[in-house]
Amino acid sequence: MSDIHDTNLREGLGERSQSYWQKAWMRFRRHPFARWASVVLLVLYSLALFADFVGPYPEAKSFRKLQFVPPTKVYFKTEDGRWTRPYVCKVERSRNPRTFKLEFKENCEEKYTIYFFVKGYPYKFLGFIPMDLHLLGGPWLVEEKAYLFLWGTDDFGRDMFSRIWFGARISLTIGILATLVALLIGITMGGISGYYAGSRVHIVRGLFRPPQKRAAVPGEEGAAEKNGFFSGGALAEGWREAVHERRVPIFLVGLVLQYAFWGAATAVLYTTMQGFLSISEGLERYLAMIVFGGLLGIMVWMFLFGRLAVDVDDLIMRTTEILAAIPGLFLLIILSGMLAQYDMPSSTRFLLVLTILAFVGWGGLARNIRGFVLQLREMEYAQAAKALGAGDARILFRHIIPGTLGYLIVVASLAIPGYILAESGLSFLGLGIQEPSSSWGLLLSKAQQIGISAIKERPWLFIPGFFIFVSILTYNYLGDALRDALDPRAEH
Amino acid sequence: MTAYILRRFLHLIPTFLGATFLAFLVIQLAPGDFITRLELDPSYDRAQIENFRRLFGLDQPFTVQYAKWLSGFMKGYLGLSLSYQTDVWHVLKPRILNSMVLVISSIVFIYVVSIPIGIYSALRQYSWGDRFWTSFAFFGLAVPNFFFALLMLYFALWLKDTFGHEIFPIGGMRSLYIDGVDFFQAPKWRQWLDVMWHAVLPVIVAGTAGTAGLTRVMRTQMLETKMQDYVRTARAKGLAERVVIYKHILRNAVIPIIASIGFLLPELFGGAGFVEVVMAWPGLTPLILDAIFSIDVYILMGSISISVVLLMIGNLLSDLLLAWVDPRIRYS
Repeated sequence: MSDIHDTNLREGLGERSQSYWQKAWMRFRRHPFARWASVVLLVLYSLALFADFVGPYPEAKSFRKLQFVPPTKVYFKTEDGRWTRPYVCKVERSRNPRTFKLEFKENCEEKYTIYFFVKGYPYKFLGFIPMDLHLLGGPWLVEEKAYLFLWGTDDFGRDMFSRIWFGARISLTIGILATLVALLIGITMGGISGYYAGSRVHIVRGLFRPPQKRAAVPGEEGAAEKNGFFSGGALAEGWREAVHERRVPIFLVGLVLQYAFWGAATAVLYTTMQGFLSISEGLERYLAMIVFGGLLGIMVWMFLFGRLAVDVDDLIMRTTEILAAIPGLFLLIILSGMLAQYDMPSSTRFLLVLTILAFVGWGGLARNIRGFVLQLREMEYAQAAKALGAGDARILFRHIIPGTLGYLIVVASLAIPGYILAESGLSFLGLGIQEPSSSWGLLLSKAQQIGISAIKERPWLFIPGFFIFVSILTYNYLGDALRDALDPRAEH
Repeated sequence: MTAYILRRFLHLIPTFLGATFLAFLVIQLAPGDFITRLELDPSYDRAQIENFRRLFGLDQPFTVQYAKWLSGFMKGYLGLSLSYQTDVWHVLKPRILNSMVLVISSIVFIYVVSIPIGIYSALRQYSWGDRFWTSFAFFGLAVPNFFFALLMLYFALWLKDTFGHEIFPIGGMRSLYIDGVDFFQAPKWRQWLDVMWHAVLPVIVAGTAGTAGLTRVMRTQMLETKMQDYVRTARAKGLAERVVIYKHILRNAVIPIIASIGFLLPELFGGAGFVEVVMAWPGLTPLILDAIFSIDVYILMGSISISVVLLMIGNLLSDLLLAWVDPRIRYS
């Protein structure tokens, strides 16, 4: 007996006790790629944050005559082979007399030394601190004596190197923000769906006693309630329940909503029928009369005598099924294509793209969260909270949702690359972020617009694609590491 | 089983109605309609424009338009395309067939490539080969389709410049001429061969993400099944390793893989969509993109409703297949 006791003691002394999060952090750090992925992402995000400083040119600065200039060569050696400070030569435009193609030639008569941490174009850091410090450049750059296009220029003669960092701002943040919005919708919908699964909500309560519902024996207990023309209806039944449970105000609000919804639905159905019948003829007209008439009849009957209660869970899950039934890309391009036809400032467009991405993507999250909530609401601590008299919202958001936190983090980190991909895809098709703003997808689309055969002459237009690839890759690695770290089954 | 299938079928009806109604609603978000741009054209007068509106039912409330469209759909009539001035089905049919060529070949490609790789990776876990394919899977999942398609075009151009003739075609779906004969006059098998030759690069691009994903799933499945008790039993009773692997491990591991065909479909639709746009494959997505900007309602509704039907049937078949392959699954 004492032996067992001793071993237990020794084991307890041997190791420090660690919380779930401490263990997860340990596991995360042990993951081979997690560190690399985090470092790469950190670098990308800081480059995006300091885009004004890193890029030598402002986002919209364009040189009309310098379209598709190849990357400027940076020389580290003089002509006689001695090492020197890096310098560039001036690019000059000429037309090839034989092919009539534009050509860019370097004129190395004068050398333009690249300075670091120099004054350049003024900008506002973080949007409000006026600065003019740049990582690369020189006085010649602002005076436009020579140009520094490290990664070439696009179709408007804008510096790709600068625009890639400005594009990183949008491409890298939209993924996170869209995930947050999608999570918000997903948690709310999935939470409600899971928590209220099985309980029904009335869409309509009939006003009067249904004809078939009558107490068999007139003298039976409660026969007055059952047989009364008004007091036998579903409405009266609900009223009695509400009075009994002391929640009359909520019941009344619900009632108003129910009838408003039902009235609107009937009105829409009626106008639809009218319009449809006015433009149809023959068999179609008769069939439509039967279908619409039948539907209207059922609705009116429900309003008078019936009752209709639905499971909120069912309703929400059917909605996610409907969203999933349309191929994601089609829904995405049609939604953003329709809205892209309005003129709007770039910040509004950013919000719009973000909202569209979240709207198309919340369904899967909601389904998963619902599954979790279904499990967790049966847990003892949730039951205990209920027994202590906590409200539904409190139990759901203070007790159940925090239990899914580990899962949510993993899901978020795996959803972000998907949204980055979706945004760049949309912008690539010209339906997402629009000029003059920049995003990686939009920048990459230049490679496609100029025609297939020209691709080979302008390979620098591919560079934004590598950035999309790298950011998705690192997020995938990060998500994998987080999943391994936060999965409770991974405990050793 | 019959009751289960029937119930699943009935379940599809509200989903279909909801999805098409949602699509119709989304199309209404556009500023104006197809006729709006005609209003700016001075060669049309008011009366003509009103006439057009009435002809296409655009003067009715949109629920009426939807009901009319739905009633047409049930008769097998998808409406009139506004910009092509013809029956929508005539425009859609070749596009859908073209897209199907791409999607079906991608599915075949995905399964043919990923299952052997998954088996290999699981049987030689942590070997160099396994590591190579695992990192390949990561790369394949991360590379954006449209970027990969551009790279492939670049590759095809490079091949052409290096060898002097087209090893792989540069975009498109068919050659204009086959051996000097017009494409449509050439024998059928030559036509198919030509299309297949054009499909090689697009299929690789469209299938890579799916291949990468499925390879990982296959590998995990194999690894999990390898640890089962019945595998140990099979070994213990002295079966040859080959029999153990192919009869006991593989057959059980492959079940969810087979069944996930239906769930691959939506992703493939999307993936193939980008490839179609970049590689000039005349499929459904380029058509939709054109229709979006001319607000050609019925082309959009036609392509969405047909892809919704295809997707739902794919999912249903997938579920049924799973239930059929795996007797442990009960349908309720």
